[in-house]
Amino acid sequence: MKRPLIAATMLLAPLSAQAQEVGEIVSFVSCPVYRDADNGRKSGCWLVRDGGSGHQWDVSQSPHKPNWDYAVFVEGRVADQGEDICGAPVLEPVRTSRLLDRRCPRHMLPAEGYPGRVFIAPDRYLTSLANPPEFEDPFGPRTFYAFFEFDRDFLVYQYSDFIVQQAAYWIEAAQPRRLVVTGYAATDPIEVSGVELAESPEIAQRRAEVVALTLSRLLPGMEIETRWETGSQPIDVPDADTIPGQSQRRVEIAVEF
Amino acid sequence: MLKRVKQPRQMRFGRALPVIVAAGAFAAASAYASAGESAADERWWSPGEGRVFPEVLDYENEHGTLRTLLVGGPLDTRGHPFFEPISSNGRACVTCHQPSDGMSLSAETARDRWDVTNGVDPLFAAYDGSNCPNLPQGERASHSLLLDRGLFRIQRQWPPAPRLGEEVVPDFTIEVVRDPNGCNSGVEYGPENGRISVYRRPRPIGNMKYLLAVGFNFDPKQGLALPRDPKTGDYLSGNLMADNRAFTLEEQMDDAGLTHLEMLRDLTADERDTIKAFELSLFAAQQAGRGGAVDDSGAQGGPAVLRDAEPGELGSIGFPVWGEFAAWEDISAEDRTRLTLEQVEFRESVARGARVFRERTFLVSDSAGVTTQMGFGNPFRVACKMCHNMTRMGNDVAPGQVDLGTTSLPFADHFDDLPLFRITCLNDPHPYYGREILTYDPGFALSTGRCADVGKITLQSMRGLASRAPYFSNGSAPDLRAVIDYYERRYNIGYTEQEKQDLVNLMSVL
Repeated sequence: MKRPLIAATMLLAPLSAQAQEVGEIVSFVSCPVYRDADNGRKSGCWLVRDGGSGHQWDVSQSPHKPNWDYAVFVEGRVADQGEDICGAPVLEPVRTSRLLDRRCPRHMLPAEGYPGRVFIAPDRYLTSLANPPEFEDPFGPRTFYAFFEFDRDFLVYQYSDFIVQQAAYWIEAAQPRRLVVTGYAATDPIEVSGVELAESPEIAQRRAEVVALTLSRLLPGMEIETRWETGSQPIDVPDADTIPGQSQRRVEIAVEF
Repeated sequence: MLKRVKQPRQMRFGRALPVIVAAGAFAAASAYASAGESAADERWWSPGEGRVFPEVLDYENEHGTLRTLLVGGPLDTRGHPFFEPISSNGRACVTCHQPSDGMSLSAETARDRWDVTNGVDPLFAAYDGSNCPNLPQGERASHSLLLDRGLFRIQRQWPPAPRLGEEVVPDFTIEVVRDPNGCNSGVEYGPENGRISVYRRPRPIGNMKYLLAVGFNFDPKQGLALPRDPKTGDYLSGNLMADNRAFTLEEQMDDAGLTHLEMLRDLTADERDTIKAFELSLFAAQQAGRGGAVDDSGAQGGPAVLRDAEPGELGSIGFPVWGEFAAWEDISAEDRTRLTLEQVEFRESVARGARVFRERTFLVSDSAGVTTQMGFGNPFRVACKMCHNMTRMGNDVAPGQVDLGTTSLPFADHFDDLPLFRITCLNDPHPYYGREILTYDPGFALSTGRCADVGKITLQSMRGLASRAPYFSNGSAPDLRAVIDYYERRYNIGYTEQEKQDLVNLMSVL
């Protein structure tokens, strides 16, 4: 238990707004505020104030956005922001995980002149069935990683679903012997904004089963073994977008030939 | 403005001959051909008439003319299982899927049929064409839900049947708060007897290639890959039925055969294939409205485009939703001299309505299916096309189970004549309604057994709307304006009166 708590504290130590430089990581728990900017579809802003530093952040770029009824666990890196789009400095990359046991009062701000972001389809956008990607040899043992919101097993749209879909296309082309799907849960507690956070051990199994079910639908007949582990530690893989906590909440798809 | 002509409905754009032939055949064969019916009911297709279904079939409605195209038509319907009364109650599929009503059934048509037959048409079968089979069947009041709001009784098994081969263990309990029709209580009905009655509109069975289409292999609302048909290996669209209880046309047919048709046997494989082939050959849409033909002056309305286009395209990355009417944004000087002022203004209104549909954003909140786990957040700002995203059809490219609130309190309109259920979530509470939910129809949750799915109803096609009022799964919107008014109330959109009228005009020509 000790080691992860220490590691998390080092990574997530509260810093004042003045001290926070581009690329530094910020982590806190707080209630979200929706700013009703209107620059077309999905252009509204999500703002969350870090009670430790008093600083408010624009967390709108999270792949899983807040619910205004509940607190969010924010993990993000200070972005090199140009234009002030939503009325707060930007965290990007950023993750916001909804904490459904911590209610918040709904609060919405008007646009107040802030434009909000024009929605641009993310790079991780599902491939249509009409245009599947093509992969060619050489194929060999490989591991894919899919990531989750805190304490959840949902393959979120335009992030984890894309990762698993692309993995399935590669696997389909590679024709491996079998897959080993291992779910991980970040069960070692960390303290963030005075809140002790730890994922439930069961979520590791559920993550593995959700990904295995999805792969069984995408790859009928493929042999898939599921495993699960608690006490997940951070890893450095691209699709975790440099967020250590995100990398802990994962499933690994090991492709065996 | 076109007037509605009831007897007989005037052919405006179609080929007259097939309908003339069909009318003659009908007069000879209809079991209900009587003095009270006469030519009336060239418009009504009775089971076993033996009419010819023409390649092009037009019917007027209050907004203009609906056209149905039958690829490979004309079709002699004699012996055809969609048209023959293969049931035990005298019905055929066509009873509740009428060509004049966009292959659905309007409440007005039901009322016409009641008047013409004094309520003895098989349409009013006790099983589901009345509020409950145990009511006195000769009385109009016993059929009020069908006659007033076009609703059929849907009896769902409780607990739900296995789904995709897996046992369904509900994570909620369901109690009956109010049972105005007697079909959710007593010794025969109700959850305790394994039978839950809800009341729903029949969904249109034209344009099926769009409802079966799969653009992507994921269901973003469930966070899973789409399931596949175990027989064919094809991905399943999840867009056929209001509660997504049937994944394939074959499953839907079997369900309808055992319930609506009260068949005493299973459909044969040949019958299924024949019905499926017919349904996949039908394309229905409004062909003319107050602005004239909807494929005039560069517009692409009407069913011919539906017949020829590829289904499953996402409007945000392909042809824009209701881009069919973009040409009417800039009506030429030549057309302005050719058309009446009313026609020009109507076309301009339709074109504006299409833009409002795509571009006028509003805040969507507390709508399970899109504001829960997909990642968009709650609330989020979008336009109508966010959910109604399939090019040319207006349904959802992904499985379209969303809770608009039309069936659950506090958002649903008030109805004393519908059953009211209390759902109690046993594990996590519903994200917006809480642990206890009052609902007229749990919708998708009756298939999945999940509290989180209470109130979700599958989006359906928006084509042919003009012919098949009322709207929403429980018929709560009597006309197109009422649809817009519901959305306005539900999401506090702030549409201007002009925007509302433009949207109504758009929907009237789809």
